[in-house]
Amino acid sequence: MTAARVNKGLHRAAAALACATVVLLVAGALVTSNEAGDSVPDWPLSFGRWLIGSDQFKANVRFEFSHRVIAGAVGFLTAGFTAAVWLSKSASKRLRMLSSIALCGVILQAMIGGLRVLFPAHKAEIAVPHALIAQSFFVLVVAIAIVTSRSWNTAAQSRTDAEGIGLAKLSATTVGAVLVQLVLGAGFRHGAFGITPHVAGAVVVTILIAVTTARTLRDHGDYAYLRKPALLAFGLLIAQIMLGISAYVARVRSTAEAQPLEPMVSLTVAHVVVGALTLAAVLTLAMRSNQILASRSEQFELRSRALAE
Amino acid sequence: MLKRIMILWMAIFMAAFLIVACGPKKKKAADESDKTEETKKPAYKSNGDEGTVTGKIMLTGAAPAPKRIDMGQDAKCGEANSNPQTETYMVSDGKVQNVFVYLKGGPADKYEYPVPSESAELDQRGCRYNPHVLGVQAKQDIKITNSDATTHNIHPTPTKNQEWNESQAPGSGAKDKSFSRPETLIKVKCNVHPWMTAYIGVLGHSFYAVSGKDGSFTIKNVPPGDYTLVTWHEDLGEQTQKIKVTAKGSVTQDVTYNAKTAYLPTSMNMATVVLP
Repeated sequence: MTAARVNKGLHRAAAALACATVVLLVAGALVTSNEAGDSVPDWPLSFGRWLIGSDQFKANVRFEFSHRVIAGAVGFLTAGFTAAVWLSKSASKRLRMLSSIALCGVILQAMIGGLRVLFPAHKAEIAVPHALIAQSFFVLVVAIAIVTSRSWNTAAQSRTDAEGIGLAKLSATTVGAVLVQLVLGAGFRHGAFGITPHVAGAVVVTILIAVTTARTLRDHGDYAYLRKPALLAFGLLIAQIMLGISAYVARVRSTAEAQPLEPMVSLTVAHVVVGALTLAAVLTLAMRSNQILASRSEQFELRSRALAE
Repeated sequence: MLKRIMILWMAIFMAAFLIVACGPKKKKAADESDKTEETKKPAYKSNGDEGTVTGKIMLTGAAPAPKRIDMGQDAKCGEANSNPQTETYMVSDGKVQNVFVYLKGGPADKYEYPVPSESAELDQRGCRYNPHVLGVQAKQDIKITNSDATTHNIHPTPTKNQEWNESQAPGSGAKDKSFSRPETLIKVKCNVHPWMTAYIGVLGHSFYAVSGKDGSFTIKNVPPGDYTLVTWHEDLGEQTQKIKVTAKGSVTQDVTYNAKTAYLPTSMNMATVVLP
């Protein structure tokens, strides 16, 4: 892709879709934290209607119904964005594929959300994949925003990565680890298992992000294109650890309460959202490092090819 | 590259689903369900020599203070309650209300008992379940009503019976439900108003009672035999006592809980906390 293929409109639309997805993640986290997932027992209608009255929009129904409305809006935005990509002459084949996957993902997510409502006995089995798709959809939209950005389309493969496990591979591994950790967090929140797997995952992710950041600063600290997402990921990691501990302490302290209360709800929601933002930051680093870094052997191959031409 | 990412993502997705679907919690529930597989039992024939079991549930030590409930999320609930508080500990002069008391073992498990024709009643009034603890026999009808001016949903969360979740608008007709298998106890929630909980004890017989305000309970028409008297409180936990009911006899068995040694819910264990 070249600078000529940068489509500002598509990039802005992708960025707006990513922001809308963050709002949807907040709405979803509010549903789980307030134990509101079963407050509206039917789907796709709510109490037999598409729009409920103010007499029903109260207590936990507020969270569940808002989640449905925001999810519907994100679904329509994704459909509109996908249509715009396919109609755009400057859109690459890869962008068309990514936007199509996003559209399929949001439809799949809506179906799984519906199954979660209709089969309350299988809460965890459905809710955990629902959370995984939510986070995956978010990073997919972030990836689309990245590949449509000017910085991505003007960057050249110009740097040497370390031999063996270089930054490109390390950051890609970190993305996978953060995604698994978000699934473990969802499993804990939905009661599938205890806190231990999530804590173990937190240790692994902390080490991986710390090592990835350190490697980035050591080898490419002078290059803002890589340094910025690395520092952002590390900053978010620190905030995430603090939020995780605070949310857990608040939750343990509130076990005797009759209902979910503050600050437990807000801390848990913030923990979920900052987790998603951490994933987006390490994804940005992984995509950029895989884009511009090449191992010495790859660079040698590239130079040989250039000379031959 | 994209293909590799998709394969990796599918692997994570499948792993997540399998871990949750086949996890230890599910296995435990399935095991418990297997143990209670119903076997054909002979029908009970009364000899007219049934006895009575009575007693009181008491608490030593100070009961935890009730917690305030925030009903501000629904004005109709707030209007119905001036000072809403939790019902976990309903203790007066050391007498404990809402303890589910039942018999197990002996003739209680040996025979098939006819299902009562009258319905048990569970009402939603003042954004609370009334009664808070209810006993029924398996397959007995439970008439669920909504006396409030707001919509509720009724969501029992059993492990051995079918889970269901239905809303009930104000002024709508009663719902007739039943549980087909014995299970002690099933937590019932209203997910609209998260403070609303009730517990239903489902047994294969009708030798149960729920302690009243004075902590007393009475179980009538008990066939003579050796039993285990089980008492269950939602926070204090379970206690068992061996009792013998003689022909036309009356047994008095008081049960005392100690507030200081009350069990902690597993959610207080830092290593095994599991969310509701």
